[in-house]
Order: sequence, then structure tokens, then C-alpha cells
Amino acid sequence: MSENLMEAKTTSFILRQLERVPYLSFFAKTRGWPFFISWCNRIAGILLVVWVWIHIYFLAFLCTPSAYDNNMTVFRWAIFAFLQWLLAIPVIFHALNGGRLILYEIFGKRNDDTMLRWVFGLSIIYIGLVGLFMLLGNQSVSPFFFWLFILVTALVIGYGVARKIWKSEHSFLWKLQRISGAFLLIMVPAHLLFMHLNPSVGMEASVVIKRMQSWFIKAVDLALIVAALYHGAYGLFSVFSEHLSSRILRVALVCLIAVIFLAFAWVGIRLTVTI
Amino acid sequence: MDGGMVMETNYKLTLKIERYDPDTKESWVQDYQLEAGRILRFTDLFRKINNELDPTLAWNSSCEHAQCGTCAVMVNGRPLLACELLVENAVVQFGTTVFEIAPITVAPVVRDLIVDLEQAYERVNQAKPYIIKPVENFNKGNEYQISPRDLERYVDATRCINCFCCATACLSSQKTFLGPNAVLASIVRLMDPREEAKKERLKILYSEKGIYRCHTSKACSFVCPKEIDVAHFIALAKEGRFESEEGD
Repeated sequence: MSENLMEAKTTSFILRQLERVPYLSFFAKTRGWPFFISWCNRIAGILLVVWVWIHIYFLAFLCTPSAYDNNMTVFRWAIFAFLQWLLAIPVIFHALNGGRLILYEIFGKRNDDTMLRWVFGLSIIYIGLVGLFMLLGNQSVSPFFFWLFILVTALVIGYGVARKIWKSEHSFLWKLQRISGAFLLIMVPAHLLFMHLNPSVGMEASVVIKRMQSWFIKAVDLALIVAALYHGAYGLFSVFSEHLSSRILRVALVCLIAVIFLAFAWVGIRLTVTI
Repeated sequence: MDGGMVMETNYKLTLKIERYDPDTKESWVQDYQLEAGRILRFTDLFRKINNELDPTLAWNSSCEHAQCGTCAVMVNGRPLLACELLVENAVVQFGTTVFEIAPITVAPVVRDLIVDLEQAYERVNQAKPYIIKPVENFNKGNEYQISPRDLERYVDATRCINCFCCATACLSSQKTFLGPNAVLASIVRLMDPREEAKKERLKILYSEKGIYRCHTSKACSFVCPKEIDVAHFIALAKEGRFESEEGD
């Protein structure tokens, strides 16, 4: 049996089992699996926006290191450690599925079934790796080395997408959404992985402050904050504005989203620059 | 007998049909029990209901050969053409003999399964599904020959019958999106070498109601009764493929 046939049979077997699940079978039979995956992508995106807000809120406590350390004791509880591990699911799924959409929409790759298999396969590997590092809790790596490697990779991918669409007549904001998505595709999963290399990396104020005092890490964090908040704001607008046919309500939504995201951007940027 | 599987000659079906009376503004779901042969189509079932059970049930159809798109309805949540769906295929596809039938959701319901297609077509009309400005040679009354290579690029998309199944299935809200079939109509003309007004077409595609509202959920391709890969054509527009073809 050829490898392709074997792969197709395995996929078909998995899909047949999934189609037996009551709610999933409705999507599979009436709209197709990509439709269901699109919904998952939306939900994951909204969850990640909330995560970014919570993340910036807690980081703001770094101004008072003892308060930060106090807050972080909660995140050492088993239930919160488990929730942090679960966070790896929306992070990697949204990132890789976004990558798939970029390949489909911008680079003309139409072998969607294969790309979806890669999305799920790599997601499982990543989720497993995060879990493994969390359990071990004893890994260390030079932040400069790690982030230099990640930043260069993310910039190359972002540049590749920008080069393909920059001269097109698409809306500037839409182009930025795609470029920021390509950049975050690497940066956000790397950020989550880095934070779980060992407990002190993200939970001890002194370690975090020392790392953030490096000009290079400041630059990395600023790029992350700006790209993540822009990507999240555009994504939220895109999802919610669809249901508003009134122009006034759409403008109001833009204003509301802009105010919320600018407030978080202000907190995050100020903290990163001044720490 | 066929390979050990018994082929039913008749099925006992339950059709739960969404009804709407515009005079009383009342909506309800009405159950119809009927026995039907395996190769009857759903339009035949509606006719059977009219003839044998309830003459007041209103539904739409015209050609009944999957060419006009007027009989589009939702069967167990899936938008499809009632004239194309055979009883046996429906039983196999949905794994049941109970079918919930509702009108498509692209426009207000006029009565029972009939929607206001004129209103639905307004969005198609916004996409200008015709040649806005013909190229010079075409205007002189001469025959304009499209090369087979050019035609091959978009001939699949010309099969669209505007049944609105794709628009009903689409992830994006119908409030702010022209809809996959309307966008496809504009893309067909963008790819058509007889069309000169490419810039105007791009403006429609890149407008607020255009392709930015598409999230590539590909439900359009999945439900299309004419098996057009609508998502592929919309993705070509996102890729910027048509910008090199700009006319005036």
C-alpha cells in the first residue's frame, strides 16, 4: 500500500469517527470540516485576545516586584498550571491554522487536506513539548540566543508575506493583519514555550525584570505587544462588525476596540520601556 | 438484494417543514408523514404533499433540473437544491428518515419555503454580473474569440446558477458580505478577456462588503450544487492575481 493511500485511509477513518460525534456531525454534513475549523480559529482567536489582556494586566505588577511575586504564587497551583498548559492548544492551533490560511489565500497553495494534517500533527507535537517542559521544569537557554533565532525566523516569514502582498491594492489594514499574523505565527508559540522552560522564567519578578532590562529583549517584547494587539484588534473588529449593518454602530465598535487596545498597548509599552 | 444490502423500494418519511403565513405573520413547524419511492426527488415530495396532504404548502421550483436554482432549501441544516436530492440519497447522507426542511436564509420569507429572491439578487446586482465596458474589438460587432486557455481558467465559475446555497452556508454574516455567489460573479468578469473595466471590478472586490468579509471557511465550495470551488476563486482575488490584468 502506498504511503499516500495509507495516509488518506487513516484520515478518512479519523473523520468517520469524528462524524459520529453528535454536534460535529452537523458541521461535517452541512458545511464541511473547514467550516468547523474556521469556527475553532475564531474561538481560539477570541480566547487569545483575552489572554493577551490578562497577561499585560499581570505584567503591570512588575512595577512592584513583591506584588508580582504574590500574584504568581496562584499560577503555581496545579489547576492554574494545567490551565496554562491548555492555553497551548489555542495558541498553536490559531498560529498554524493562520499559517495554512496564508498559504491558501496568498501563496496559492490548494492542497488543503495535507496542510490540515500538518496543522493537527504539529499542534499535537507542540502541545506535548510544552507539557514535557512544564513537567521537567528544569530547562534553561540564553534569552538572547533563543529570541535572536526566533525573531529572525519570524521577521523572515513576515517579510515573505509582506513582499507578496505589499504592492497589491488590498486595504492597508488587511495587509497589516496578514503580515502581523505571519510574524506572530512564530513569536507567540515561542513565547509560551520559553515561559515554561522553568518556573522562574516567568514567575520570579527578579528574573523577569533582569531579562527585560536588556535592550534586545525590550525590542522583542515591544514587537510582540504591538503585533499581538493590532492582530487581535483587527480580528475582533472583523468578527463582530459582521453582525452590524449600521455604519454608526460599526464606527462605534471601531472606537470601542481602539480605546481598549490602545489602553493595553500603553500599559504594555510603558512597562517594557521603563523597567 | 445488492451485496447483502436490502434496497428499500419505499421509505416512510417524516418531513418537518417550517411554515410561515404572511397574512397572520405566524410561523410554525408542520409534520408530514408520507411514503415515497427511493428515486423521488424532494420537489416530488413537496408536490405529493400538495396533492395528497396539504394544498396550502408553498414552495418554489422552475426547471427541476438543477439549472435555475429556485428550489434551494435547507434540509437538516444543509442548503441544497430540492430537485437534485433523491429520497434514498438523503436517507444515506443524513442517516435518518426524518427531515427538517426550512427556507434558505439569504432573504426574508415570503411564504413557507419561498424567499424574496428579488431582495437576494440585490447583492448580486451590486457586484455587476455583466460586462461593464466591453473591450474595443468586442464592440465592433465582430465575433470575439476567447482562447481556450483563457476560458479554462474561469469556465467552472460560469456554471454558477445563483441558487444562494453558498451564501446561506457562508460563515460570514449576510448583513455585511455581498456573498460568495455575488463575489464569484464579479470574479468571472474580471477573468473574462472581454471585460475592460477591471479597476471598477477590483474596487467592488476590495470594498468593505467584498472579499475581506470572506474567512475561507470553504462552506461555499462544500455545498455548491454545481461543484464550483468558490473558495478557490475568491482566494485568487485575495492573492492579487487579477491586479496584473487591470484595464482602464
